[in-house]
Amino acid sequence: MSTGFDESEVDAISLTPGTGEHEDEPASTQSTTSRRLAVSGEVLVLYLICIAIALGLSALLVQVTGGSAGDVFNALLDGSFRKPGRIGLTIGVAVPLLLVALGTIISTKAGLVNIGQEGQVFLGAAFAAYVGTEMGGPGPLVIVALLIGGVVGGALWAGIAAVLKYRRNVPEVLTTLLLVTVGSQLVGYGLKNQWLLLAPAEGRSNRQQVSKQLTDDVRIPRITWFGNEFPISAFLALAIAALVALALASTVWGFRVRMLGQNPQTAQRAGVAAERYGGGAMMLSGGFAGLAGGAMLAGGDFGNYTLVPGFPSQIGWTGLLVALVARQRVIGAIFAALVFASLRTGSGFLAATGVERRVTDVVQGLLVLALLIPPALLFLRQQRRATAAAGDRT
Amino acid sequence: MADDGATSLSTSVPAADAFASAAGQPAAIRLDYVTKKYGSVMACDRVDLELRRGRIHGVLGENGAGKSTLMKIMIGLVLPDEGVITINGDRARLTDPTDAARYGIGMVHQHFSLVEALRVWENVALGEVGKLRPADVRARVAEISERYGLDVDPDAIVGDLPVGMRQRVEIIKCLRRDPSILIFDEPTSVLTPAESEGLFETLRHVVDDENRAVALVSHKLDEILRATDEVTIMRQGRVVDRVITADVTASSLAASMVGRDVSLRSERVALGVLDTDLEGTEVPDTVPAAGPCVLELDGITVLSRDSIPVLDDISLTVHAGEIVGVAGVEGNGQRPLADLLSSLLSADSGEVRICGEAVPTGRAGAMAAARVGVVPEDRHDSGVVLDMSITENLALVDASSFARRGLVDRGALRDRAVQLIEDFEISCPGPDAPLASLSGGNQQRVVLARELSSDPRVLVAAQPTRGLDVGAIEYMTDRIRRAAEAGVGVLLISSELEEILDLAHRIVVISDGRIIGEMDRADADLERLGLLMGGAAA
Repeated sequence: MSTGFDESEVDAISLTPGTGEHEDEPASTQSTTSRRLAVSGEVLVLYLICIAIALGLSALLVQVTGGSAGDVFNALLDGSFRKPGRIGLTIGVAVPLLLVALGTIISTKAGLVNIGQEGQVFLGAAFAAYVGTEMGGPGPLVIVALLIGGVVGGALWAGIAAVLKYRRNVPEVLTTLLLVTVGSQLVGYGLKNQWLLLAPAEGRSNRQQVSKQLTDDVRIPRITWFGNEFPISAFLALAIAALVALALASTVWGFRVRMLGQNPQTAQRAGVAAERYGGGAMMLSGGFAGLAGGAMLAGGDFGNYTLVPGFPSQIGWTGLLVALVARQRVIGAIFAALVFASLRTGSGFLAATGVERRVTDVVQGLLVLALLIPPALLFLRQQRRATAAAGDRT
Repeated sequence: MADDGATSLSTSVPAADAFASAAGQPAAIRLDYVTKKYGSVMACDRVDLELRRGRIHGVLGENGAGKSTLMKIMIGLVLPDEGVITINGDRARLTDPTDAARYGIGMVHQHFSLVEALRVWENVALGEVGKLRPADVRARVAEISERYGLDVDPDAIVGDLPVGMRQRVEIIKCLRRDPSILIFDEPTSVLTPAESEGLFETLRHVVDDENRAVALVSHKLDEILRATDEVTIMRQGRVVDRVITADVTASSLAASMVGRDVSLRSERVALGVLDTDLEGTEVPDTVPAAGPCVLELDGITVLSRDSIPVLDDISLTVHAGEIVGVAGVEGNGQRPLADLLSSLLSADSGEVRICGEAVPTGRAGAMAAARVGVVPEDRHDSGVVLDMSITENLALVDASSFARRGLVDRGALRDRAVQLIEDFEISCPGPDAPLASLSGGNQQRVVLARELSSDPRVLVAAQPTRGLDVGAIEYMTDRIRRAAEAGVGVLLISSELEEILDLAHRIVVISDGRIIGEMDRADADLERLGLLMGGAAA
């Protein structure tokens, strides 16, 4: 108990729930703190090892295929951080990633597996584009309205999955995923028809299916800090992150959502209607993805204020990964969003290294994998301990 | 300690010596110094055990004493950390159940592993290697059934058979391989008293006429006394005593098992002693149903997915201050009954009234809002959230009453938790400890604390003492009795007759989802209850 990181002590405590006679309260409180420290230390080491392995393998691959590993890594760092202005770009990408991840955290806490963020982002962006181009009025008002439009679009799209789940018992894993395809077709239809989203024939080349561009006054303002320009929606995303963390931890709503996620039967008995809280969490999750879509459209880092086919450009999928890597924690999601954003912006400079695209893709894939392995390992260990603990009691 | 029982043999004597004179033949299986550790818990601590042919050997101990682990070691499901296993004089290594089967060891588990959609003979043939010859299997099943008087039809579909019959199918599965050693893990928990009697007869037959060795694992003194020749008593992973059954009494066995003298009635009940010779097992005072009716089920029918009624036209009433026991063999509708009163199930017809007001069934939280407290049969299923803290678990139902504008007042919640932990003597590291870190008994106390502190009008206690040790059982029964004295109407759903007879003022018997008998405690006796539980008309 004297050293803060006594591994055996930590293991003994976590492996044997319910058997120790915890009589001296201060001692066990202390061991909880030391356990937490030990665990976070462990996680850090785990990440370092995984990233080191990924970097090693990448270097090997690049060298073997005739490129220069140093060039590749330098390009990644230049593109994401080192070259002037790139941090701003990274932040711009991190904003929608964080928003998507926050929504994912909410649905996961409620015990739902929403994997259709890509579609929800697209629908949100489409609703936002419609509101932003069709609604007149003062700029700031339109900006707020188009963001709300994004929320509504994403929430409706996720709502379909929620209705199917709670009315017809269709697993949300399937519906959310399949709705991605349906969603992109639907927005595609909107982009083919002028009464919906398609821009008028003048001002665009003939076959292009794009929406009208948002006018200057309905774009989210961008600010410049130390030569890095990014949309102010970054602050909105941070504020929302704080709100989500607070809501999940300290409100009755958050408590009930967590109860539902961890034990739906107990929740039902205690008065948490799955339909209401689960359906709400699902729609909120979609709403966040939709908000991300709206912020992408009006933020300027994607698609030049114009809705185009393939607009979400993997932000939905990547946001899902962000939540996964953050192990469904809000603070973790902020950092993970920045890391994934820098992987993305970093790749912008890779072409200049002359290394083949397929190889650099593998390098990026390895790095993503390195980020995903530690949470997976932690999850597996948790499962193993749970089984061991269950074994104790038989 | 162990020597409280006057007839106990010294615990330091190895098993072989203790009984060598009694039988004069080598052990069928012998375990020496077997140790198994889970984390820092010693499930089995230097255990010696010897089973001999022609003997029924009881293994007695409280829940968690290490009996099950020991049996799992004998059939190769669990590998011991240390120790030697000797079978018929040869040292053996049992790494999986196939090994054990090769050595002629068979086990009838507490929980059956039968495929309900298949016929009896098909279930028996499952897991056999080589070519399937249905006619042979059928003939063999019929022959075994005939020889042991099991009365099982090889062509019956297992899903149609009552639980007692299913156990016989398990026994046939086991006997078909002609094992020399048979292990029964808590076999009577799913049987009516009459069925248990039948099982013991079969065991006697297997032992006396065929010279097999049988181990009977149980936490009930009564059946150990009735059915075994010798007993090994375990406590906290250790063997504390080995005795010849004929030489001991329930009291001395109980003392060895618990480690101290057992005096209270509820303790005896917890140990499964229903011996009228023991003082203190007198009929409890019967409270006349004078209080107002707090719980009323009126013609409740619940259909399963295949439209088979799991509860069939159930009508019963519970008055304030009254404990109504629902007796019955497990799986006869007890679970849906508790689920119904937990808002987990909705009734297909009929009405539930709490204090005269109809409460919609199946609507989230409706029963809890009507102040129906529930101690569920499987607390991990619908009683607690394992990954939440004790504080949060105590507030599952009423968190909103500790909140202002949706924000939970954590301080107030924590204070209440500290108070309840003290009131209900929950042993834990603190209110913020995750519930999963508590022992089963303390988790059950958390459930009880939450349900009783919300000032219930009705308390549904479903198998409230299952899996608890004697001290915890005593506490639980005491709390239930006190709740009733305080004016709560208690519905006690239990498959332990002793518990029902100990606590209830009025008893209803449930069989096949229907109530088939009702009587006052004063009119109840084991024989009548047993007959009703078996499905005989009242």
